[in-house]
Formats: sequence, C-alpha cells, structure tokens
Amino acid sequence: MLFRFLRRFLKEEIDEPARLRLKFQHFRRLLENNAKALETMADMEEKLSGDFLFDRVYLQTQAERLGDSVSQIVAELNLLTANRYPELRAICQKIKEEIGRELTAAASIPETAYVLPLSSLTRETAASVGAKMANLGEMGNRLHLPVPAGFAITASAYKRFLEASGLEGELAQRLAQARIDDLESLEAVSREIQALVRQAPLPPDLEAALAEAGKAFQGRPLAVRSSAVGEDTEFSFAGQFATLLNVDAQELPAHYKEIVASKFTSRAIFYWKYQNFSAEELPMAVGCLALVPARASGVMFSLDPHAAESNTVLISAVWGLGKYAVDGAVSPDLYRVSREPGLEITSQRVAEKPVALVPRPEGGTREAALDLDQATSPCLSPEQIQHLAAIALKLEKHFGHPQDIEWALDESGAIYLLQSRPLRVAVPSFAAGERESTWEPVPPLLRFGIRAVGGAAAGRVFLYTRDEDVANIPPGAVVVARQPAAKLVLVMDRINAILTEVGSPTDHMSILAREFRVPTLVEVGGATRVLHPGQVVTVDADAARVYPGLVSELLEHRPRPDEDVRSNPIFQKLARILKKATPLNLLDPESPEFEASRCRTFHDITRFAHEKSMDAMFALDAGQSLEPRGCSRLRTGLPLNLFILDLGGGLKVSGQAWVTEDDIISRPFKALLRGFHHPQVTWAGQLAPDLKGFISVFANTMYDMGKAEKGLGGKSFAVITDNYLNFNSRLGYHFAILDAYVSENKDDNYISFQFKGGAAGVERRERRARLLSEILDDLGFKVQVTGDMVRARMVKYSLLETEQTLELVGLLSAFARQLDLALSSEAVVARCFQAFKEADYSLSFLRPAVSEQ
Amino acid sequence: MAEQLLVVDDEPNMLRLLKTILMDKTGYEVATTNNPLEVAKMLQDKPYDLVVTDLKMPLVDGMDLIEIIKKIDPLIPIIIITAYGTMETAEEAVQKGAYDFITKPFRKETILITIKRALEWKKMQKELAALKKQ
Repeated sequence: MLFRFLRRFLKEEIDEPARLRLKFQHFRRLLENNAKALETMADMEEKLSGDFLFDRVYLQTQAERLGDSVSQIVAELNLLTANRYPELRAICQKIKEEIGRELTAAASIPETAYVLPLSSLTRETAASVGAKMANLGEMGNRLHLPVPAGFAITASAYKRFLEASGLEGELAQRLAQARIDDLESLEAVSREIQALVRQAPLPPDLEAALAEAGKAFQGRPLAVRSSAVGEDTEFSFAGQFATLLNVDAQELPAHYKEIVASKFTSRAIFYWKYQNFSAEELPMAVGCLALVPARASGVMFSLDPHAAESNTVLISAVWGLGKYAVDGAVSPDLYRVSREPGLEITSQRVAEKPVALVPRPEGGTREAALDLDQATSPCLSPEQIQHLAAIALKLEKHFGHPQDIEWALDESGAIYLLQSRPLRVAVPSFAAGERESTWEPVPPLLRFGIRAVGGAAAGRVFLYTRDEDVANIPPGAVVVARQPAAKLVLVMDRINAILTEVGSPTDHMSILAREFRVPTLVEVGGATRVLHPGQVVTVDADAARVYPGLVSELLEHRPRPDEDVRSNPIFQKLARILKKATPLNLLDPESPEFEASRCRTFHDITRFAHEKSMDAMFALDAGQSLEPRGCSRLRTGLPLNLFILDLGGGLKVSGQAWVTEDDIISRPFKALLRGFHHPQVTWAGQLAPDLKGFISVFANTMYDMGKAEKGLGGKSFAVITDNYLNFNSRLGYHFAILDAYVSENKDDNYISFQFKGGAAGVERRERRARLLSEILDDLGFKVQVTGDMVRARMVKYSLLETEQTLELVGLLSAFARQLDLALSSEAVVARCFQAFKEADYSLSFLRPAVSEQ
Repeated sequence: MAEQLLVVDDEPNMLRLLKTILMDKTGYEVATTNNPLEVAKMLQDKPYDLVVTDLKMPLVDGMDLIEIIKKIDPLIPIIIITAYGTMETAEEAVQKGAYDFITKPFRKETILITIKRALEWKKMQKELAALKKQ
C-alpha cells in the first residue's frame, strides 16, 4: 500500500534502486510463500503413502497453512504487477472453500427406501445398510451361499426416525446440557438418552414400512441386530450394540427402536458430547433375519490368525445358538482343517459343552442343560467340517482377505451363514526373535535373527564385504553382510532382502530398509559363512528363517495391509483435499493455456504466480508498463537464458541490455558461476543426444523428453547486489531457488537452497530428494526433506567457506540438470550419487558407448 | 502370550488407524476406547501391558490419565501422543511419569519402535524389582 501511495504522489522523487528494492521485497515474499506452499503440499502428499498417522487437526492445520500461503502469493503477485491478475483471488478463494467443505464434510446418507430386502443387497450397498448386512447380501446374491431370509432397515430410515420424531434436536440439546464428570454420570446420560429413543414415536411412513416388511415373516421368529454404517461405529463403539434373538415380527417397531437405542452407549455419548450431534453422522442400519433354529453354531476363521503359517482353517462350534460361541460362555469344539486341496482335518478337540442357548417358544432365549452324551459329542461331522472350511476359503478368496465368519446348522443339518467380516491376522511380533510355531516348509539353512523389516523374498546371495561392492550388487539380490551398511540405500530399490550378522532393528540401515520395504533380518549369526555367493535362497523375515531355493508358499500369501489404512475416512479426506490442491494443469508457460483463469488447483496458482512474478520482476512481459530498467541479460557460453537484476553494486555497468560475466562484481554470483564453469561439467543440453538412446532403454519411464528439452532453454533469474544473490531457475517440472549473502562478517553469511519437482511419480521424486539431501548434507548444509522438496541452509560460515560452498552448489545444480535427464532409473541416481561423492562430475558413465571409443 | 495394549483417543478415526497399525503383524492384542472416563475401569477389569493415549481429550486429558493409571499400576508404561507444537506439555507428561511421547503426525514405525522399547523397559523394571526382593 505504502509503495503505491508513494508512487502516485512522489513518483518523480522515488529513485530507481528504491523502487526496485520495494518490488524485490514483494518478489521475495512471493518466493517465500511459494516455497512454503510447495513444502506443505509435499508434506501432505507424503502422508498419503500410508506410512503415517495423522488426524483431522493435521488436515485442518495444513489446509489452512496452504491456503494462507497461496493467498499471500496471489496478493504479492498483484502488488508486483499493479493488480494484473485479480481473478486469481476468486479462484484461490474458491479452492479454499472447496477444501474447507471437504474438511467438514460428513459421509452423507444415501437416499434409499426405509427397508431393503436382503435379496437386493451387495457389498456396494454398505453405506445404506451397514457392512454386516451388505456382506451378507453379497454372500447370498453373488456367491449363492446359504444365508437366512431377511431385510435391512436402512440408514435412511434411521435419519427419518431421528428427524421426524424430534429426537435429533432433543438429543443435541440434552447432550449440550448434560453434566458429565465421571463414568457414572456418563452412564446416567446414556441411559436417559436410550430411554428417550425407546419412547420416541416412529413416523407413520416408517412404521408402515416396518409392518409391511414384517408381514412376510408372520409366525416366523426373527433375529434383529445392528449393522453399523461406517466401520468407525462398529469399531470404536463395538460389541455393545444389542442383538435381539427370537423376536416376533409384529413387534418390529419396538425392536427397531431398541436396537437404535443401543447405539447410544456411554462411549457414543462421550463422543457426541463434544461433537455437534447429527443424524447424518455415524448412522445406524438394522438387520432382520429369519432366526435359524440352530442345532449347532459357531465361528470360523479362514486362516488361523495366531499361526498363519500353519495354513489351516479354524472352526469353533457349540450346541444351540451361536451367542455362546461368540462370547465364549461355553468352551467350544475346535477343528483345524488344512487349506490345501483335499481339506484334510488336521486336528479336532471336542470340548465338554454342558449347556446350550436355545429359543423359548414364547420368544427370547434360555439356557438348556444337555445330557452328558450330547455335551461330550462333536457338534459337527467330518463332512460338515470340510463343507464349512470350503465356504471359508471361498469367502476369503471373494473378499480378498482372511475372514471371520459366523455360521449355524439347522435341525436338518443345513448350513447357514450369518456374518462374514475381515479378520486381522497377527503374524509374529515386530522385531521379535523366533516365533513359537515351528512350521517350516523345508529344512532351513538358518533359523535365527531379529526381524527388522517383515516379509518374505527370494533371490541370489550377494556377499557384501566392502562399501565398494555396492556398485556390483545385481538387481534382485539377497544381500548378506557382516555389518549393517547404510550405504545399501543406494541399491535398496532393486535388492530383494538383506541379512546381516550384527545390527539392530532400529539402526540406520534398518530404518532405510523399512522405507523401501526390503525384508531384512539382523543378528543372523554365521550368515556370511553358511550362505554362498550366487546361491538362491528364500528369506522369511517374519519367522527369522532362510531356506534354500524358492519357497513359493512363503512368497505367495503376503496380504498388503495398507488397504485397511487407506480406506480410513481421514485418509480419504486427505486424498480428496489433495485432488483440489496438487494436480498441476498449467505446464507450459509458452502455451496459450497458461492463463490465470485456467488455474484450477493451488499448485496451478503457485506455478502461474511464480512464472509471472519473475516476468514482472524482470519486466520481461511486453504488456508490462514498467520499463525494464536495471535488467540485463547475460551473454554466456552456458546454455542458460539468464536475466540479471542489479539492486546495487552487483555489476560494473548499468542500463545495458546485455552484460558479460566480466561485468559481474557480485561475490556470491561469481562463486556460483565458477561452479557452473567447472571443467568437468558437461551441460545437459550437450549431453542430451547421447542420453536419448540411454533413456529409451527404460520403457516404463514417465519422463517427458519433450518437456525436459524445452526446459533446457528455460529462463533463469538472478537478483544481485555486491554481497547478495537470489537465483531462480525452473527447468521443466523442476524448480530451484538459491538465496545467499557473502561478506567479511561471518555472522551475516548464509546460503539457502531449495529444490523441488520432477516429472516422475511421487515415490521416485522422494528418492531423488533424499539423494540430493545426502549430497547437500555432505557439503555441510542443514537439510530438511519433505516429500520431494529439499530445503538446505547453511549459516555463519566464513567468507571463503561460503564462497567455496556456493561454487559447489553451482556444480551440484549443473550436475543435477544432467541427473534430471537420466533419472528414469534409480540405478542411475545411485551411480550419480556415487560419482558426485567421488568428485567425478563428468557423468561419463552415462555414455558407455562414447567412453569406450 | 500376546502383549495387551490399551489405546485411548477421543477421535474414532485415529483410534481405528492406531488399532490397525498396532495389530498389523505385531502380535499385540489391542483394546481401544474413545472414552477416557472408562480407562480406570478397563485397567481394573483386566491387566494391560501398556497404554497409548492422546494428550488432548475433553474432560480427562492425557495428563490426568497418567495419574489415574499410575495409581492403578505404577509400572505400566504410558505413551503419550501429542499434537505438533505442544512440546512443553509433552515434556511435562514425561516428568509426570509417561514413558515417552510421540508427536502427530508420525511414521508407523516410530510408534512401533517406541512401544517395543517401552515393553522391554517394563520387563527390565520387573526383573529389577524381583532381584531387589531376593
């Protein structure tokens, strides 16, 4: 504001350097916010990997931070350009609002009928009828497995009930007023609210729908149970919802309200007390099934969760209704069945089951004593056991994950399935030693070690004795070493497993291996003596075993757990927010599409604003009324399109369109250029023809050659004074900023370097960022890597040291440009890193054909 | 015998994520509650080897919980989860007797390693106590 005021009234008085300095202040603030925005986006993208835990507060904080940075960018750009892009404000605001809506959005309840027959349900209907009923529908309708007849009372019915009865408002008010200071008062509120729900009238249309649905079951008893919508309710407030067995269909309205009331447990009340109560959030569906008058029932796991490697189905069974098997009131029969073809029953333990839960003729259930003969007989015949096991395997295959299944057997011996849900299989302890079970597919070569990274993998043994070996490790190797070697990070993307004779799951190598998900065992005594180079072995890191040859059983079933995490609402929220923030649609500044009005994401705005701010700063835009005074271009042999803005004392000359390197006085700029001119550096533009052939080898590359080559001629900008340098360059998708001050006063000196971007997938970009950070770290910088963004800072080094480091940063930039071209493969990155560390900046190994000649 | 962990966090999403991660191939048994008021009762009903709790919760925060838990079982390791930027409170929690704290957001491995160390620490404490008795 001040600037504009001054300009209007004192235009003549403002001297040119002062005007430029003001402009530069806006420019720098824009750059700072640009870096902040990119960093925040990188941080959020990283969280999407599934390796992190974060909560709603994190999403809110980061979304706000990002929104603020982008708003600042827009504001500074408009200050810099005399309000040339006012439309960006509205676009930015719109994206902010969209993200805000995503942050607060609750899953909405699908509009459906109040009652849906089981025969119409599949797993896709979970949002309406809850996972329990949706899965049951899937089993009956898609897999044609036997399930009882029944129907679901939907989430839509729940919403209707709460709204029409006035309960929603009433509960919100009660919850707000309730005094809760201990468990007792909480439970009192819970009881009070449950009573309110039971007493509330059902709206006539819902009552009619329930009556209609109940008609089909006249005279047939029902089992009525909750089917929570959204796993969270099921999960957090689980096990406490009521299940009503053997009830009359005519009294369905009362039973329905009873189940809905059971939702308001003390845990649920605690949750709602501090949230705004809404009928939309955590709704409840109810399942009604024809009661199976069970002779026997039980639970089965398609894979024994405590001994997954035994590869068996585990079945438990009791007499009568299944409740006693589920809650453990009676110790059940236990059967184990091999999952191998033939389904051999491998063990059976017949327990004494003195009582059974049975339906009472007048409704409800009672406990019946059994005679000793029945109590001690097995509940299932061998055929029934195998039949059940076959069903368990079919369900596991269909749902893609081991299952926890409830079943019942009626008087005629027919099997019914009542529920199937995912089973969490606990494989041995993280970082634990040997596991108790001793199942071994073949005699192992080694049977000890500590699991640092779980999983199983096979490959040829490579004995790693010296760090120099790292370059010789072939892809797919099982690396066997005496000691942990962090250097292995260079090949972690292409090796299959690591074994070391000493080490710890918490050492540096193990942490890196975990990031790359390379199965790793440490403390495997004798590994280097027992295993021979070239030998094929299978490593089972979970069990701390190494087997000769390929053991396919181990290599096959490795369920990927991430799915579970990724389906969490908080992850999905992040994914949706990122969709609005990070995709980059404005790629090419030369394209006519590169316009403010075409910005659709925050990333687009940052990209656009950065480009336009440089144009404005250096007055390169023809339409710009500000005269390009003070801005010069550098005449140089380097393949750089470099613009220089001297804020004072940076150049020997002034007012010239072109300057030469000899005209430069700025100490930091001179140092940087010395790095660019390092005799060994071959600039990427000159390298490209050779590399094209090299790159074509990598068929899967996402790298866009066209874009990259265009980038080679891209603009770079330097703002200088005698002691100061701000250097900006953008290369294709890459983006780097260097900011440095060099003087006799050590305390004032600093170098700040930022690098971000790349055309490759997030994972690959992050690996590169880490490699760059290792190099910078080596140079003495404090480095921070966030996702694919590297920020490095060095302060208070002497004039000479700072200048020398700047020179090396110049060298690194030049080097990195070549890297950019070759980055289609991790292997190349690793070799480049090695090369830089060994002061070989020529990258001649990238051109094998040339170097051999 | 699998180690029993109790996880307390008022945000159900976080609770579910924690449970998923803590049970994934670890062998731990994990009980959860979003209601810090019932923690005392849960601990009295059944022994747990370790408690993981959010620091900031309505009514009873993690700091109060430390005292409540320590009264019931002075040896049980408590791991506090804190939000970014509340370092001082986290340090205070450790002074009050929490075993350690981790700051949200965090890597999965971070919490697994912290829990593993805490369980080892508890084992050592027990052995030490046994030795002293001799």
